[in-house]
Amino acid sequence: MTDFAALETELLARVETSDQPRSVLRAPELKQLYAQIRDADDKAAFGASVNQLKQSLESAITVREDMLAQLDRAPIDVTAPMDVNAPLPQLAPAARGSIHPISREIAYIVDIFQRMGYVAESSREIDDQYHVFESLNFPKGHPARDDYDTFMTVEQDADGEPLIAPAHTSTMQNRVMKKYRDSLDHGEAIAAIVPDRVFRNEDLDARHEHTFYQVEGIYVARGVHAGMLIATLQTFLEEYYGQKLDVRVNPFYFPFTEPSFEFALSCPFCAGENDSCKVCSGEGWVELLGCGMIHPNVLRAADIDPTEYTGFAFGCGIDRLIMMKHQIEDVRHFESAKLDFLRQF
Amino acid sequence: MKISLNIVKQLTGMELPPVDELVDRINRQLGGVEEIIDLGAKYKDAKIVKVVECVKHPNADKLSLCQVDVGEADLVQIVCGANNVKADMWAVWLPPESIVPSTYGSADEFRLGARELRGEMSHGMLASAKELGIGDDHDGIVDITEHDVPNGAELSAGASFAEVFGLDDTIIDIENKMFTHRPDLFGQLGVAREISAILQLDPHADEPLENHFENPEWYLTRSEFDSPDDLDLTVFNEAGDAVPRFMAVAIKNITVTQSPLWLKCQLVAMGGKPINSIVDATNYIMLMTAQPTHAYDYDKLRGHSLGTRMAKQGETIRLLNDKTYELDATDIVIVDGEGPVGLGGIMGGGNSEVSAETKNIVLEVANFDMYAVRKSSMRHGVFTDALTRFNKGQSALMNDRILAQLMTMVGGQQASVVHDLMNSATKEALDNSHSYCSNMPIVAEFVNQRLGIELNETQIGNILRPANFAAHMSDDNKNLLVTAPPWRTDIEYPEDIVEEVGRLYGFDKLPRELPSRSTKPVAKNQSREAMRQIRDVLSNAGANEVLTYSFVHENILTRVGQNPDKAYKLSNALSPDLQYYRLSVLPSLIANVHMNIKAGHDEFTLFEIGKAHHKDATSDDGLPVELGRVAGVYAAKQPGSGAPYYACKRLVQQLTDAWGMDVHHQPLAEFDAGEFDGLRQLMAPFDAERSAMLWIGDKFIGVIGEFTQSVLRNFKLPEHSAGFELFLSPFENNQPRTTYTPLSRYPSTTQDISLRHASDIRYADVNQTVRTALADADADVSTHVQPLSIYRADDSDTTTTTFRITLTHQDKTLTDADASQIVQTVISAARDEHGAEQV
Repeated sequence: MTDFAALETELLARVETSDQPRSVLRAPELKQLYAQIRDADDKAAFGASVNQLKQSLESAITVREDMLAQLDRAPIDVTAPMDVNAPLPQLAPAARGSIHPISREIAYIVDIFQRMGYVAESSREIDDQYHVFESLNFPKGHPARDDYDTFMTVEQDADGEPLIAPAHTSTMQNRVMKKYRDSLDHGEAIAAIVPDRVFRNEDLDARHEHTFYQVEGIYVARGVHAGMLIATLQTFLEEYYGQKLDVRVNPFYFPFTEPSFEFALSCPFCAGENDSCKVCSGEGWVELLGCGMIHPNVLRAADIDPTEYTGFAFGCGIDRLIMMKHQIEDVRHFESAKLDFLRQF
Repeated sequence: MKISLNIVKQLTGMELPPVDELVDRINRQLGGVEEIIDLGAKYKDAKIVKVVECVKHPNADKLSLCQVDVGEADLVQIVCGANNVKADMWAVWLPPESIVPSTYGSADEFRLGARELRGEMSHGMLASAKELGIGDDHDGIVDITEHDVPNGAELSAGASFAEVFGLDDTIIDIENKMFTHRPDLFGQLGVAREISAILQLDPHADEPLENHFENPEWYLTRSEFDSPDDLDLTVFNEAGDAVPRFMAVAIKNITVTQSPLWLKCQLVAMGGKPINSIVDATNYIMLMTAQPTHAYDYDKLRGHSLGTRMAKQGETIRLLNDKTYELDATDIVIVDGEGPVGLGGIMGGGNSEVSAETKNIVLEVANFDMYAVRKSSMRHGVFTDALTRFNKGQSALMNDRILAQLMTMVGGQQASVVHDLMNSATKEALDNSHSYCSNMPIVAEFVNQRLGIELNETQIGNILRPANFAAHMSDDNKNLLVTAPPWRTDIEYPEDIVEEVGRLYGFDKLPRELPSRSTKPVAKNQSREAMRQIRDVLSNAGANEVLTYSFVHENILTRVGQNPDKAYKLSNALSPDLQYYRLSVLPSLIANVHMNIKAGHDEFTLFEIGKAHHKDATSDDGLPVELGRVAGVYAAKQPGSGAPYYACKRLVQQLTDAWGMDVHHQPLAEFDAGEFDGLRQLMAPFDAERSAMLWIGDKFIGVIGEFTQSVLRNFKLPEHSAGFELFLSPFENNQPRTTYTPLSRYPSTTQDISLRHASDIRYADVNQTVRTALADADADVSTHVQPLSIYRADDSDTTTTTFRITLTHQDKTLTDADASQIVQTVISAARDEHGAEQV
């Protein structure tokens, strides 16, 4: 009866001390074992044990080899600007560098909104349910939560609920309104956009990404009405596309706005004149974003009196804007880290 | 939600505009139309015909030879295989060249012809219910009798089947999502009411209009029920507020048959499926009113009782879908005297199902808590038409009328009292003007301010009344008092009335004007600004910005030597690649090097600005701290001269220089993360002997270094790779900075000095000595030091470091002697401090 455990301990010890650990695989004890397989009573079991031993040795050998290779590498003087006997490293040419198209587009969007008087804020990648849902007037168990396929964590928030990868940058609404709440007292509007990363728990394909970018907008002041929302978005889009555009709103439902709209613009690429337009499919309209007047409960959650102040909010996908602009065929390119893609921008 | 325009026409009594125009208005004033289905096209050729003569086929036992009146001069001969075909019957004929409706629009449409069957010509066919797509019945052809025909219609040979039975219809499918807060719109009646209100709109009339929508009589009248006691029925509700209202009644002497053809056709138009007369009646009521109802076989209810309670832990139920579910105390169950017979608001049980043998039934019209039924259905994965309606929060105020109407449809005789159990909230609303929201005061100004329009109270009332709101002025004439109709559960705040008015008025008609703003400059976001500048600096230095996922597979963490236990873990990701939040950003970049090398890129730097999360780092509110990072990886297929560490360091220096940061580098091997596990995870991929921790004073700002052998092997990285990861905060909290030295009118003097010193003396120390000596030498001389080379002969234990020193005096031209004197102080300082010699 072979004592595999003892043999393994013995061979592993040899690996640990050897300068050429791989040679342990050629140890006579192993060769002997191979020879015994044929005559073993239970060939399968014996063979499996031999295999297991071999695998255990293999992984120990890799670790030992890595360590030896590591030892082989001399320490360097990390304070020096260059290596010994080597020239000062040169930077790569600027022409080879690139900024991600999403970062570029966000900068472009932020620039327009800043000129319109909006501050830009950032969002979070992990948040509690209060900010993703409750503060936005989605009570616990509300069916509207079903419309957002959210990633959740094993870990829990202060209320004992899973943490969430926000499905919309609206998760910042409550914080942003609180942050700028004082502006209202000074007769200034709260005007902010939040362009950032959001998540939906979806399977990937050319048109669906679980990770994408959204720009959320919030505007609160005295006397803000729904016509101002439409005008603001129209103005932004006309500036963004550098042309006059038609816009239309259809009623929609979001828990955090009342009334809520789905917002569409006349196709900036074909103006409805191309039946085979890839962007609007010949419809002449592109449905672009959701928006509405901020729900009184959402204002209240941010200590804003909805009888005194009103406001609007909107959320627009950024990836789609870029895809339309450059006719990008596959949304997965954005997070692919492919230089062939990135260096085109 | 599928809407039949014929039914809408019936209910509104209005002529509808052309479909395109109607759809456009629905889009703009109700909700997005997803699909328009031309039901009429499917039935366009089907005709109602009369079989005049029916004899046995001369050449086939099972076939009949019919002469049929199709409304033309000549009779048409049709061979028919059905055993119920007979002379004088009314049937549905599918003529030659027509497509069998049940195959219409499918991949293999079946087009009929005129062909010989056993030597006799047959022109098309007489259709069964199945072939018409209005039921599963294909035992015989459709036999149209008196009770099959819709009210008022007369049969005539050759009449269009679709026209007589209302299937010359257009079905409009409106997105359900739009109706999340509108349970009433999950019925034809609700949508018809909205369409009527939209079409009746007259916002400018100054007189109050009585332009309300005419609901069917039975829907409006509070029902008075008889109280017979022919059958015992005990009804109870032990679920409390989870079941706001529970109504049930026993009916005796019913017969379960096929529904009349007109009803089947109506069900089909509404997207339903005919089953039998009892089930069809309950479905019809649901599709019409949005209120789900249910029929039980009375004789199968044990103890002749029906009630509702929360399920007991571990209790099981077999539903109509033939699947068994294990329940717990959060499920609402319908029970008889012994156990569950249905999952409340979701699906009935198999044990109490109405069948062909059923003689007596119990009808239930109940109301369930939307949150409870939603939770149950999610947990069990059961989704039904009833659930779709109940989880939006149906009104409990219409149950009596709906039950009364259902009773007229199922036949038989009422055999028990009508049990009506309701909670206090329901009772209160019933007593309170029969509304969940009565007499809400609305000031026109409130509405106008939010919509940017100018309507008066009268006009607002005129807009609301067509949707069956009641609206009248308060006694003091200051407010419009608005009462929502009983089926509206969504009207709670004055803002809800604003939505209603705006939508019915037309959002597109709102005046478009930008808000006015002050000229105060908007605040800059320091953090975003910093990120933008980092991008500029790094991309100008030839690096490529990437964005990678915020989540990684466990094996990315383990292969760089990080500990997944420290990372936030996703519990429900569809993709197996997304398991953990990142402990640092760099591993995602490392994972993308090999792919780019394979794609033919020989030398590159990828960088990303992203966030790390670590379980040890939480803020006061219990949320994970979001650790902003900028990370980069440099890789070259061909080794360059010198260690890759220095290439990376050069790039990072470009960045820290832009912010004017005075960074010092500590060998990683000399650093102990101690209790800071976050740093330990950050350091994990780096080779301790060839990496540096970066500090500004006593503030740690990041790591630069080469990777461990296992990282190189695990990610197939080229030997010549290195990376960095820096904290964003020092960049966010400081501005990029340029230090300017005034230009001198006098020329500069340049001297190179080479210092030979022991190899274990670090460059930084020699450099520091040189700079300090220069700074102390002459206050009027500005100095600039630049490293030129670091040389070490093979096997030598000394190293020669060469600096180029540029000296400029502000007030005079330096002489060689002046310069040499300054250089001498440098050399002697190097000798004193490091035992270095000039060579």
